[in-house]
Amino acid sequence: MQKLVVIGAGMASGRLLEQLIDADPGAFEITLFNAEPRGNYNRIMLSPVLSGEKSFEEIVTHDDDWYATNKVTCRFGEKVLSVDTARKVVVGEKGEVAYDKLVFGTGSSAFIIPCPGHDLPGVVAFRDLEDTTAMTEAAAKPGARAVVIGGGLLGLEAAAALRLRGMEVTVLHIASHLMERQLDPAAGYLLKKDLERRGITVLLEASTKEIVGNGKAEQVNLADGTELPCDIVCMAVGIRPAVKLAQNSGIACGRAIKVDAQMRTETPDVYAVGECVEFEGNLFGLVAPLYDQAKVLAKTLLGQEETFAMRELSTKLKVTGCDLFSAGDFADGPGREDIVYRDPARGIYKRLVIEEDKLVGAVMYGDTADGNWFFGLIKDGTDISEMRETLIFGPSYQGGASVDPLSAVAALPPEAEICGCNGVCKGDIVAAIEAGATDLGAIKATTKASASCGTCTGLVEQVLSVTLGDEFVLPTAQPVCGCTDLPHEDVRRLIKAQELKSQEAVWQELGWKSRNGCHVCRPAINFYLLADWPLDYTDDPQSRFVNERNHANIQKDGTYSVMPRMWGGMTSPQELIAIAQAAEKYGATVKVTGGQRIDLLGVKKEDLPAIWYDLNEAGMVSGHAYTKGLRTVKTCVGSDWCRFGTQDSTGLGIKLEKKLWGSWTPHKVKLAVSGCPRNCAEATCKDVGIICVDSGYQVSVAGAAGMDVKETERLVDVRTEEEAIEWTTAFIQLYREHAKYLDRPYKWVAKVGLDWVKEVLADDAERQALVERFDISQSVYQKDPWAERAEPEAARRFQPLADLTLKAAE
Amino acid sequence: MDTVLDAAVKTFIQVTEIWVPEGDRLVLATGNYGELSAFEEATRAMSFGKGEGLPGKAWAEERPVVLKGFDGSYFKRIEAAAEAGLTSAVAIPVFNDAKLKAVLVVLCGDDENRTGAIEVWHEADGFLMLDDGYYGAARHFEWVSQHTHFPRGQGLPGGVWSANTPMLFRDLGSGYRFIRADSAGKAGLTTGLGLPIPVPQDKTFVLTLLSARGTPIARRFEIWDSRPVKVGREVAAVRTDGICEREGPLWTDDNEEPPRRVHINQGNIGKVLATGLPLIVTGKPGLTEGYDTLVALPIYDAGEIAHIVAWYV
Amino acid sequence: MSWIDIGHIDDVPLRGARLVKTEVGCVAIFRTDEAEVFAASNTCPHRQGPLSEGIVHGQKVTCPLHNWVFDLNTGEAQGADEGRITTYPVRLEDGRILLDGEAVSTRSAA
Repeated sequence: MQKLVVIGAGMASGRLLEQLIDADPGAFEITLFNAEPRGNYNRIMLSPVLSGEKSFEEIVTHDDDWYATNKVTCRFGEKVLSVDTARKVVVGEKGEVAYDKLVFGTGSSAFIIPCPGHDLPGVVAFRDLEDTTAMTEAAAKPGARAVVIGGGLLGLEAAAALRLRGMEVTVLHIASHLMERQLDPAAGYLLKKDLERRGITVLLEASTKEIVGNGKAEQVNLADGTELPCDIVCMAVGIRPAVKLAQNSGIACGRAIKVDAQMRTETPDVYAVGECVEFEGNLFGLVAPLYDQAKVLAKTLLGQEETFAMRELSTKLKVTGCDLFSAGDFADGPGREDIVYRDPARGIYKRLVIEEDKLVGAVMYGDTADGNWFFGLIKDGTDISEMRETLIFGPSYQGGASVDPLSAVAALPPEAEICGCNGVCKGDIVAAIEAGATDLGAIKATTKASASCGTCTGLVEQVLSVTLGDEFVLPTAQPVCGCTDLPHEDVRRLIKAQELKSQEAVWQELGWKSRNGCHVCRPAINFYLLADWPLDYTDDPQSRFVNERNHANIQKDGTYSVMPRMWGGMTSPQELIAIAQAAEKYGATVKVTGGQRIDLLGVKKEDLPAIWYDLNEAGMVSGHAYTKGLRTVKTCVGSDWCRFGTQDSTGLGIKLEKKLWGSWTPHKVKLAVSGCPRNCAEATCKDVGIICVDSGYQVSVAGAAGMDVKETERLVDVRTEEEAIEWTTAFIQLYREHAKYLDRPYKWVAKVGLDWVKEVLADDAERQALVERFDISQSVYQKDPWAERAEPEAARRFQPLADLTLKAAE
Repeated sequence: MDTVLDAAVKTFIQVTEIWVPEGDRLVLATGNYGELSAFEEATRAMSFGKGEGLPGKAWAEERPVVLKGFDGSYFKRIEAAAEAGLTSAVAIPVFNDAKLKAVLVVLCGDDENRTGAIEVWHEADGFLMLDDGYYGAARHFEWVSQHTHFPRGQGLPGGVWSANTPMLFRDLGSGYRFIRADSAGKAGLTTGLGLPIPVPQDKTFVLTLLSARGTPIARRFEIWDSRPVKVGREVAAVRTDGICEREGPLWTDDNEEPPRRVHINQGNIGKVLATGLPLIVTGKPGLTEGYDTLVALPIYDAGEIAHIVAWYV
Repeated sequence: MSWIDIGHIDDVPLRGARLVKTEVGCVAIFRTDEAEVFAASNTCPHRQGPLSEGIVHGQKVTCPLHNWVFDLNTGEAQGADEGRITTYPVRLEDGRILLDGEAVSTRSAA
């Protein structure tokens, strides 16, 4: 095991250790030095500890247990005296440690203005717990006064905290407005007002001349002659990287320890991370890039590739009740434009800085709700030209406000049925939650809700969310597409529940984010609507993929293939003659398919109506070889011819095909009927496969022979042909009503479970109702699309709208 | 921490109830009476007109009201309270601008073993002065508090006043300049929740709940921010601070992860956002983080719910 | 510009397209709304898919072959795909679709 020594237990090196141990706990034997007599804590949360709004225990990130569990040897409270890079050892006060890899995480120390008196007792920085404790103790004296030098982030957090502790506080700031590196003057003005409202005195352009006192800091004198009596002085004017040890060890330093994008110093096997590094001339003081560095260094140490890159930063001030956000660069400059929003009554100021159609800076005071959104636009360099007018009002003006996803469920009465399979209503589920069933598994176990077909899973989760609040994290279901946040299951459910009967109704009521959907959702919604409301909804050809719209398969060269139906795989000399003539007339290539039919390939789009007309004349109809619908019913010759045949498999195949053709389904559906268990029609890898036996028919479902290969599973054994057709039809209708668009039956059955399917279909009334609903749908959709489109008016649509090449020739 | 251990502890507040206006009277919406069923019976039959009884007084005077010692007072349930051993009460009106949404009433029993504090502070001459408070056995702390005032920005009341937001203080016993801190430490007070109580008139009231380890006002406190300037246009709230005896800190370092967020209608806090009313949920451990009771109180500002504070016992 | 009347708006299905043969090749006329049309090359730069057969949504069309999406305003491919289709000036007048003859002519002013 390699020996890793880390000097400094700060936030960057703490994150480094977490990442290393997470990735490979056995990679290194780790020794951690820290001059402070404790491990890592969240240093940036010291301000609320100083104010009393957090306790120190709350901000400890790695306690003794953590170091022990992860076998980190801690040498806390021990200073590192030197590093010998030649011998590869670190020399601590209590002895040497050898290293294979060494990491400097020495951080930074406060910059102390070298004015007279700066070294008096009572002058403290605000860097660590010792400083915090010193200030807390000073505040315990009644009437104590504090002078905070520095009106930056840290100084102001210290000032507000000391005020809460009960001190009289004066802030001295050298610039003309507070936090001048993060705020513009307008925001600085509002911040000053806010602090003054808390009883804090703010002196701008205040230059500290000296700190005086008898053995301790008692008064700060300014260059303009102002005298400020005090009990404590807090210097928070900036930080300087702590690099003395590195310099003394011969590590290359500029203003800090120089590292490359892999966090390597110029000395072999020596690395640095955090506030003590200098990368491409930059120093670091905010936590976000430090964490990035830690991530990069962990990878580097593990021999993986990763590169550190500078990124934009955002700032917030941790003073309760002060809402301030700043990100990016907001200096004025040529080519830069401002968008400013002010609401004086509410103390709101927002300013965006735009350069070349990109947001480069944002300052917000009083209203920071959209801060992270603006920060994202800055980081990503998003082109904002199209939303420029409304940009300042934030994201909800851009994409339309999202609908409240939970209001519908919240409004349901307790007796509303949630799980239809098991008859569980909302009140039952809420009662189970109140009794302590706080996740989906527990609800299933206690109420049986969503334990059967699973269609109501999303709804049960929403009831959990409504009832439990933030303690229940809604699983992020995969939305249909970018137009909506809803998954397929919810869309299907809501189309039924809210009786949505048009695409416009779906888009509006379900809060679609686009004008009229996209190529992903439109075909799915079109199918759901026509499957659920066959009599009310009109199929929309413009929401179909090209093949289903043109009723032919588009080929890679833009021509189409044409395939007439051959019922049960049976044909006749007359049909074959007509097919041969059509092939010749339209220059088609002829192919015999695996589904027992003949395919004519290479037909031009404008010829489609004509070839369809010709085939129609010979008594043939579309084979729907292009649809998410019934394709073929493959058969063997059965008892008519075969010496093994037990039943008329061909006859049953033809009857099934005549019953089912023309129906739309979530994905394509292929059937086969074999006359005996020898299974010549390969029925056991179809969506529905029927095997004839002496005693009747074995109906099996959910096979696959495509990307996945799967044998069918037995649905039922029946005695008569009529029953076989009824069960098959009911199964397909159940699939039509419940499956997600583009799920083949085997995928759908895997989701809902064959047991559930069996249970539903075994109910005579339910099975017959399914067949009835299928028949209603067929009354609309069992029509030959070829015949309809061979009509002159419809056929015209297959021609170009105009031919301007002719016009030009005239 | 062990749940069984929790349950054995006596709580500082014994009864919490919510009264809502119905026409010109206040009627009981919900209440948590623990085992004081006789008092509950007596209460269910009651309603209060404006100015009547304690809830009616908070409504009429448009201010939080502390009442100690019911005998001979305007309190309407004196006999039932006496039988239940209840001796003091605080009524907190919830106003949305000039409109009264509800009155939250808490009742406590006099008990030499119960320590804690429920205080009402009001502004006078640029300082927050103690209006009144109920302290249980913390007599010395009560005396100290009566002789303390807070300038803007100082201490829990002064902080709430100047920031106009609820605040949660830890370790009340340590490190504040007030004599109060020392005394608070001696009284065993640990966690303090301070919140602004907006009223129709241009007056400042701050309520503080100071909880002691042995007889806690609550074992879990949460502060939710629901101002549009914080959460955007969606009706939602984010948890800005919180502490729980079982789960520890309930805040996040937002460099690491965003704060917990709930929508309108999502859980108890979502329900407060939806109804605009205070909420008591009791006897449903699945809904109250395993605790027996939750009390959630909305704080309005400029016609909207600005914050929600919640405490769990 | 020379506007050529190529047909009535109702000859193009709503959220659909029709072809026009021109000297510069096949141009697709897209009808994105009741009274909103665009004209662009019919040919997807990726694998020459016929864009007039694609699904029309918003002011975009998705190629039927490999789902490339083009903005009909600019002709630019959307998302991660890089490519562009030529767009042509087209306008509506009393329900008639007028295409700029010069833009689709090989004898254009160029």
